[in-house]
Amino acid sequence: MIDFEEELKKFHPSPEVEDAESQIRALDVTDMVDLIVHLEERSVAR
Amino acid sequence: MRCFNCGAELTANPFCTNCGADIREYRRIIWTSNQYYNDGLTKAKVRDLSGAVLSLRACLKLNRMNIEARNLLGLVYFEMGEAVAAFSEWVVSKSMKPEKNIADDFMETIQGNPSRLDTINQSIKKYNQALLYAKQGSLDLAVIQLKKVLHMNPNLIVAYELLGLLYLQSEEFARAKRIISSALKIDRNNTRLLYYLKEAEEGIAARFASEPAASRRRKSGSRTSQDAITYTSGNETIIQPVNSVERHSSSAIFNILIGAVVGAALIFFLVLPARIRKASEDMNAQIKEVSDELTVKNADIEEQDKRIEALQTENDELKGSLGDLAGSSGMAERYDALAEAALNYMRNPDDVTGTEALLSRIPIETVSGNGMSLAISSNTVSKLDPSIYSQAFRNLYDYLDSDVAVRAARTYIDRGKEELENEEYQLAIADLLRATEIAPSSDEALFYLAESYKESGDSVHATQAYSRLVNEMGDSEYADRARSNLTTGAATDNDAQNNDNNDDAAGHEDEGGDDEDTGAEDEDAAAQALAMQILAGAGNNGAGAE
Repeated sequence: MIDFEEELKKFHPSPEVEDAESQIRALDVTDMVDLIVHLEERSVAR
Repeated sequence: MRCFNCGAELTANPFCTNCGADIREYRRIIWTSNQYYNDGLTKAKVRDLSGAVLSLRACLKLNRMNIEARNLLGLVYFEMGEAVAAFSEWVVSKSMKPEKNIADDFMETIQGNPSRLDTINQSIKKYNQALLYAKQGSLDLAVIQLKKVLHMNPNLIVAYELLGLLYLQSEEFARAKRIISSALKIDRNNTRLLYYLKEAEEGIAARFASEPAASRRRKSGSRTSQDAITYTSGNETIIQPVNSVERHSSSAIFNILIGAVVGAALIFFLVLPARIRKASEDMNAQIKEVSDELTVKNADIEEQDKRIEALQTENDELKGSLGDLAGSSGMAERYDALAEAALNYMRNPDDVTGTEALLSRIPIETVSGNGMSLAISSNTVSKLDPSIYSQAFRNLYDYLDSDVAVRAARTYIDRGKEELENEEYQLAIADLLRATEIAPSSDEALFYLAESYKESGDSVHATQAYSRLVNEMGDSEYADRARSNLTTGAATDNDAQNNDNNDDAAGHEDEGGDDEDTGAEDEDAAAQALAMQILAGAGNNGAGAE
């Protein structure tokens, strides 16, 4: 049987057009390549 | 592929030939990212939108520079009704690759239709409101709001999910199944939707199982084994109703008749009025057209009438002018008279009276000068009006008149005097009258005219002629003779009057026997009175002069 309250918690407000700018700024674009570069820089530093 | 460390072009070696960085892990990451992109693309093609979103996000988590994956993610978001998320991905894509990026086209397409963008935004606002209602426990309001959202933005998957959840909560499993099925046509492999669908189907099944069989039969109207015969023919199971009654052919005919009647009524009430209205409109249009034409033609007729009237007026004027020219008193007649006079003058220069008679047929509208005596009357000013006669006409007329008029007047005077002596008084009066007409200032003609009147017994005209001579030509030699004749005539008339009075006193013995003389006596009395007045006036003038 479905738990309505728990299911309802999974729903979040959808971003509106007025919030587009903040949405874009908050977008996390960090990827695995960044992680490799970071690790490479650390190994070079050591 | 380029080196993540220095950006140099990589070769088949497991390290960068430029900076020496180890690129084995990097290559694996890029390869895995591409695999996710391919997976996302495949899912998107089969409308597994939520699956595509997961794959493409994983792809971008591995390699954020995969522009195609980011653009495709935006497209999938847009297809799911998430316009803001789609825009965000496209904007990031554009910032990473400003040139030759298809994200430009996507954004221009959306921004080129502001009303559509506004509708999407409104639908998102309503969805957020509905979510708030649901979290506050106002499920009915949330359902109403979500229905509006789906009417405005039929692709908003989260709205389908929330509405399906609300229907499940209210145990409206059939509705929940229907709305979830609609959402699955957009996003075929959405895990949450599939989960809700499963719940809805289970709810339907549980309800079906819990209801008594009789109740289901009433609701569905399905037949059981009691009222049907079931048998198998090959692979097919045939259920034949037992209590069903075959319909008679008469009922079929009755139904056909009812259908025909209903059809006729439809035609009568729906089709016929429409046709009548159309015919009426056509007729009105034709009437209007004809009316317009009639108005135009009436205007033409009125204009033609005015033209006819103007032409008629012009025709009348021209006829009048023609009559003036060609009539008995017209210009043609005048030219004829002048020509005849000229011809007569050339043939018979001594026939001055004939020539003058012909000239007299030319009317003189304006007499410019004629008050001279016969002795100087040859020096005349033209009698003719220059506005009527041409210069040549007037020249010829004046030439003839100057030569003929004096001589004609002389001839009339001489002939009148001769006729007076011969006691042919009427002929003398006629000739002398003509002489005075030709030469109004001729004292001789006027005197002998008065003498002729006097001798013919017309004392009134005689007195008038004498008086005219006395008044107008007082210095003339004939004026004294006229004055003495007037005096003598007045004395004679006084004596005659006295005698008449004496006769009346004697007793009117011959009363009624002499009526013919009464008129002559009255004329004599009038002439006598006129003569007395003239003489008195002449005496006063003379005294004043002295």
